[in-house]
Amino acid sequence: MTSETDHSHGPHGLGEAVAARIERRWAALSIVIVGVLVCMAAFIGIHQATMPQGRVETADPTTLHLSGEFVESNLGSALEADGSVTVRAIGQQYSFTPQCLVVPADTPITIRATSADVVHGLLIEGTNINTMLVPGYVSDLPIRFKSPGEHVMPCQEFCGIGHQGMWGKVQVVDQTAFRNMAASKRRLTCVD
Amino acid sequence: MSEEKLYSLRNPWFSISVGITVAIAVLSAVAGLIWFPLLQPNLKLSGIWDAICSAAGVPGLSTQAGAVPPAFKTSNVVMTPEMLTRQDQVSIGRGATLAQRCAICHGPQGVSDANSPNLAGQYAAVTYKELNDFKTGARVNVVMTPFAANMTDQEMRDVALYYAYLPRVPSSLVNPNLTPPAIVVTGAPMRNIPPCGSCHGEIDVKAGSPWLGGQSAVYIKAQLQAFASGARRNDISEQMRNVARQMTAEEIDQVARYYEAQP
Ligand SMILES: [Cu+2]
Repeated sequence: MTSETDHSHGPHGLGEAVAARIERRWAALSIVIVGVLVCMAAFIGIHQATMPQGRVETADPTTLHLSGEFVESNLGSALEADGSVTVRAIGQQYSFTPQCLVVPADTPITIRATSADVVHGLLIEGTNINTMLVPGYVSDLPIRFKSPGEHVMPCQEFCGIGHQGMWGKVQVVDQTAFRNMAASKRRLTCVD
Repeated sequence: MSEEKLYSLRNPWFSISVGITVAIAVLSAVAGLIWFPLLQPNLKLSGIWDAICSAAGVPGLSTQAGAVPPAFKTSNVVMTPEMLTRQDQVSIGRGATLAQRCAICHGPQGVSDANSPNLAGQYAAVTYKELNDFKTGARVNVVMTPFAANMTDQEMRDVALYYAYLPRVPSSLVNPNLTPPAIVVTGAPMRNIPPCGSCHGEIDVKAGSPWLGGQSAVYIKAQLQAFASGARRNDISEQMRNVARQMTAEEIDQVARYYEAQP
């Protein structure tokens, strides 16, 4: 009897039990890891990602300067009646116009931009603004800057042989400073 | 058991799985096309159909009212890379006749020492655009404005094609051994200045950018200064003002002297 008991509960049977226990623990751990990753992706996706644009709007790239919202005199930041700010800009080989965008901190901002020639990119460093400017289409992006400061805005889509020199700036100023500027001019830029 | 029909609504497995799939499709369509779009106040949707169309990506013209009109005359020329790139003998012939009145300043062969631009071999789209801008007042010059004022669109095309047809004549100042300054070769990427040649023809051509080789240094310098100060504003959407504003006085000098010595 003793020898039989020894046989079934010997070192072999014990090893099996240990292996099963460890396997269960590892399985639980990996399920937890997968769960954390999924929650992280969902959280970042909902809270920080740029949502796909809700509307498709078109604008003829060859006639932007003739009429419509992208004429030279209408580019820059506009203070809207509801207190929000609309910023309009175009990308062209090889600069953004306006070269320097000025916006208030802690204010809902809509960036509307398009391209006058080829595909350009619009990326504002330190924010999640990162989109393409496709000729013929208007890119419309909501954003809110937390605090005053300066961000660079490079073209992040190869657009031709002068691409490496194509970038602009975004200057975030505090709300009162912006309102003071907006009192005397209808479209604001920080181009000197 | 195998006699039972698989694809039949009487088979509960079949009807339940199809039912669930259809329900998911309908729910996602309602959520994606109607519910979620209507949750976004910034889309300013006017109703369910508007929500469905915008979510499905039906394109609409950008219709933002209240654009601030320009306080000065801007260029109204629609530039395309194909513009005036085809030779037209009849047009060139008419242009040759018309160009006689330009010869006093621009030279009988389109080349002169009068510090006015050399036009021989210039891109036709460039000459056409500048004539047009002089005519509309987007660019102002005491001598050129009255000349352009009475020209028809066809006459401007003819003159432009004629000058594009004339061969470039190297000026007496050509010096091919001159080392190009850094601002010409690489631009200044940190200041939003691309190499000149990425638009002006040595590397690539951007429609409306002139060939600069052999132009008078005095003229190039004056134009760069005018772009930088905003005295000249007929470059579409500030494409040249953006560059000239960032250049130093020394760089403007270097560029002017370099291009004068190029063929
Ligand atoms: Cu670009």
